[in-house]
Amino acid sequence: MRRVAALLGKELADLRSNPAIFIPAIITGVISIAMPFVIAIAIPYITGEQLASSSDFRVALEMYRDQPATRRLDPEGAIQAMIFQQFLILLVLTPVAGAMSVAAYAVVGEKQARTLEPLLATPITTFELLVAKVLGALVPGIALVIICFALYLGGVALFAHPGVYRTLFFPRALLTIFLLGPLASLAALQLAVCVSSRVNDARSAQQVGALIILPISVLLVAEFTNDVQLTSRVVLLISAFLAVFNVGLMAIGIRLFDRESILTRWK
Amino acid sequence: MSTLVASHLTRRFDARVAVDDVSFELAPGEIFALLGPNGAGKTTTLRMLTGLIDPSGGSVSIDGETMSRTAGPRLRGHIGFLTEAPGLWDRLTVRANLLVYARLHGITNPARAVDEALDLFDITNRQHDRAAQLSKGLKQRVALARTLLHEPEIVLLDEPTSGLDPESARDVRDLILRLRGERRAVLISTHNLDEVQRMADRVAVLRTRLVALDTPAALRTKLFGSRVLVRLGDTAARFAELLRPAFKDVRADDRTLSIAVDDVERVTPGIVRVLVQAGADVVSVMADEAPLEEVYLRLLERETR
Repeated sequence: MRRVAALLGKELADLRSNPAIFIPAIITGVISIAMPFVIAIAIPYITGEQLASSSDFRVALEMYRDQPATRRLDPEGAIQAMIFQQFLILLVLTPVAGAMSVAAYAVVGEKQARTLEPLLATPITTFELLVAKVLGALVPGIALVIICFALYLGGVALFAHPGVYRTLFFPRALLTIFLLGPLASLAALQLAVCVSSRVNDARSAQQVGALIILPISVLLVAEFTNDVQLTSRVVLLISAFLAVFNVGLMAIGIRLFDRESILTRWK
Repeated sequence: MSTLVASHLTRRFDARVAVDDVSFELAPGEIFALLGPNGAGKTTTLRMLTGLIDPSGGSVSIDGETMSRTAGPRLRGHIGFLTEAPGLWDRLTVRANLLVYARLHGITNPARAVDEALDLFDITNRQHDRAAQLSKGLKQRVALARTLLHEPEIVLLDEPTSGLDPESARDVRDLILRLRGERRAVLISTHNLDEVQRMADRVAVLRTRLVALDTPAALRTKLFGSRVLVRLGDTAARFAELLRPAFKDVRADDRTLSIAVDDVERVTPGIVRVLVQAGADVVSVMADEAPLEEVYLRLLERETR
């Protein structure tokens, strides 16, 4: 693990010297934070029409009022709680967007800069190299999502109805941000790093890694249409699946990482 | 101190054979030069020696332990490999570049090792510069410092002085000689024949397969023979006659005698003695050695035929 820490330190130092790489992630984070505030706070404020009086939210209101967590909120607060909880899943995309370009360049970038060969000539193993590369992209992504979540919480506490912010401390919300989010990011980044080991163009890696956005988007839409309710149990189940998927991806990544091809065939 | 053995190394890339049945041994305290034209398989050989790519046939071993995917990471700890390109992380400072490698090699006190390397390579004053800001020569110096950070017993250098100004190249040569003094095994892959002539204990000429492997002097003798040149104060012709019974090929040209010999060091004192006793004024005596460049070109020429 000492070598992982050494290479991870390099990855983070490299990112610190190139903060512009996080602009897409910051944009994703800002959009993820802003959207529910626009829907739940800004539009009702501008139009003067309460969310609770809209027929669009009636089903959702009934559903949410059934839950002990939101039972004590007034109707407008319950709908706000629902919106802020549902949009949490968008925050999961923030680290994915943030770290994707980093992960996509993980191996290709080293090869293009001709820094890979001296690195491979050290005692570092493929496993250690890939772990460091994935963590190098994941750690800043998670840091970013924590900052976004803190801003989200602050915004909800300031602008939403009293008590709504408490619903963001419920297990479902916390599991989404601190378990599902990192695991989904990890899967995306591992995919990107795996592809980065096999292609000589970072864009291909980025595109494949971005595939993880698809199931997350499906989850978001399914939740909006009430086809799926992301309860704590569902979040835990998806997380367990992602954990197994990640272990498999690491094993595949090690198999796919072909030092020979990278050194001899890539130009 | 470690010994590296390459045994019947062969490497194919699809149908193309890049390295064919190459064997040699690299011993402690030796400077071994790997010569060959572009595409001769030098870099492929170095990569196999480092365990970066697997041989299609044959093996590499260090102190009897065969290089493999499992043993590779550990054995690489004994090797310092200077790749053809310096391969520094441009956005990191010189110090940060070295610190990462010191940690990757598990050096106990990385900061101190880096300080020592910076000092040794006279780059302490540039340690906080980003690698991208360095000249080519300085980058090469940092790459060399990185190669030797963990004090490897086996040092493999791919074109170590390529692109360096004469002063930097001399510094690198001095360093290589110092490594030999420290009983490290040094292999240089280079096109710089002058460098090889000055430093190498043994030379391997590679053109996919090993064309020749010996000391520079032995290779010269094999191809061109050895001659002693004696400059005299008087016409040389009459003294040539004196030497002909003992030496098959004695040539006289104005005031210079050229004598073909088997072993320059062994027979030269005797030649001088005979000439002085015969009353010759010996002005200078020197071994007439063909430059290594001629040896190299002759070897490749013979290989092509």
